[in-house]
Amino acid sequence: MRAFFRRPVKQPVEALRNVSFDVYSGEIFGLIGRNGAGKTTLTKIVATLVQPTEGTVTVRGYDSVRNDEHVRREIGLAGAEERSFYWRLTAEQNLLFFARLHGLRDRVANRRIQELFARLELEDAAHRRFGELSTGNKQRLAVARSMLASPAVLLLDEPTRSLDPLAAARMREMIQALAQQDPPVTILFTSHNLAEVETLCARVAIISRGQIRAIDAPARLRNFSSGSELIHLTVSGIDADQARQVLGSREDFAVATTDRDAIRISFTRQSEDDQLDDVLRALHRRGARVLDVDAERSTLFDVLERYEKDDALLP
Amino acid sequence: MNSIRLLPRRIYAFIARDFRLFVSYRMQFFLRILSILTVVTTLFFISKIFAGFTDPRYSQWRDPLASWLTGLAVLNYFMTGFSSLANSIRQEQVQGTLESVLLTPINLPTIIVASSAWDFLETTFFSFLYLFFGRVFFNVHYRGSFFLALVFLLLTTLVLASLGILSASFAMVFKRGDPFGMFLGAGSALFSGVFFPTQLLRDYAGPKLGNVSLILPATYGLDGIRQVLIEGHGLMQVKDPLITLLIFLVLLLPFSLWVFGRAVRRAKREGSLIQY
Repeated sequence: MRAFFRRPVKQPVEALRNVSFDVYSGEIFGLIGRNGAGKTTLTKIVATLVQPTEGTVTVRGYDSVRNDEHVRREIGLAGAEERSFYWRLTAEQNLLFFARLHGLRDRVANRRIQELFARLELEDAAHRRFGELSTGNKQRLAVARSMLASPAVLLLDEPTRSLDPLAAARMREMIQALAQQDPPVTILFTSHNLAEVETLCARVAIISRGQIRAIDAPARLRNFSSGSELIHLTVSGIDADQARQVLGSREDFAVATTDRDAIRISFTRQSEDDQLDDVLRALHRRGARVLDVDAERSTLFDVLERYEKDDALLP
Repeated sequence: MNSIRLLPRRIYAFIARDFRLFVSYRMQFFLRILSILTVVTTLFFISKIFAGFTDPRYSQWRDPLASWLTGLAVLNYFMTGFSSLANSIRQEQVQGTLESVLLTPINLPTIIVASSAWDFLETTFFSFLYLFFGRVFFNVHYRGSFFLALVFLLLTTLVLASLGILSASFAMVFKRGDPFGMFLGAGSALFSGVFFPTQLLRDYAGPKLGNVSLILPATYGLDGIRQVLIEGHGLMQVKDPLITLLIFLVLLLPFSLWVFGRAVRRAKREGSLIQY
């Protein structure tokens, strides 16, 4: 009996450690990492839903614990959680409820809701119960809710996760437009779609096992991971021997004949060095015509993978 | 200051939301009315067994039907005061909407008041039905000051709502297994005189068990309301239960608000707001 009633002692889980960074006004800041890395916890701390045991989060000058009500006036959160709406209410009724909690008058709230429905292409879903909406529309409704009170800071947790490619592209356009509008909206953005993060975010933080491992612009993170890139040139007008003469005796150049009366030259160069220019000029002088240039660069995926491997070695 | 200004709009938001959810289950509404009518009718026929047999010591019980109906109507109200907030928080946890509500710039007192508002409106309607059916179909008469009865109702509900806030704090942290709910839920019907005079309990079960009724706020609320509505007593005659209820309120309300604030803080620290 004693064993049955004994309350198991829960070991506290350290979800985040030594996390410190600034996000600037109008910036789209990406947060990437594996599942369970701490992205959602970090987002919830900023949103005042989780209190940090140590340290502080400040949103536009307000402390997330001491001035939580002020912070919530400044932020909007679109989470990845589907169960955050009332399933028996329509999309419109749901938004009206949350708009009223934000203190909007009904007339203003209704106008804002119609505006958001139009912007997020949700007009057809307005009078349907939340439970009947498609996963993509539920996702868009969560984004609409986060924008109800026109917050200065938006926390978007995988906002394109369930969207079709066209809807996802429009969502990305909207996010970019929000960051560029006047006054700009600051966006903290998490996604597992790394190409999307690279396209949208001015800076990206890589989070792993609750720690920020790197923060920088996506291009610089890539370069940091591997400063080199593999270049493939498809060239016509010269044959393989002529190409070898042009390129000299360097061992890192590979020349092969392709099946369409052209040759393929491959070489490795350091990012942003002059080697590609030099090769293209030399080929031109010899009368070659460049049909295609292809570069194999490291991606954010490679960067993420590298940090993950590093962390796997940690005790 | 801003929160106080926006309080009516936020209460209205919760009431409108809960009304819409309520009417989305229309059948439940009609079945509940029918069940109240069935209970009142059943009690009417049971009361006929006791016609002319009631002990003259229990002046509030000369017409048992009137006592039962006031008891049930008022108990209904008290239980709402007690359980409404905990139920509403638990429901939001289960639905997963609690975080979304807590993400809006509303403070804890607003959540406490607003999330119970619809329950009180609904209970007012159903409690009124007990008295209404008794009056219309079974000729039950009430006298005395309805205003004074309302003061008792309000005061007792506030005291029980304070205990309800403590109960909600348990729901927030421990999710299930709330001791206040068990004690007050089962205890009030048995010990506070809803179906029989509390004196009977003391006579039959001895002073130890009989005195349990003395620590239940509902006992004083029911006694006061029955003194007013059934015996026609005035303010001076009901001052004792009134003062007792005021003492309960002064002690419990600030304490329960403090505990609730701590509970929310703990749930936020543990990141367990939406767990249930």
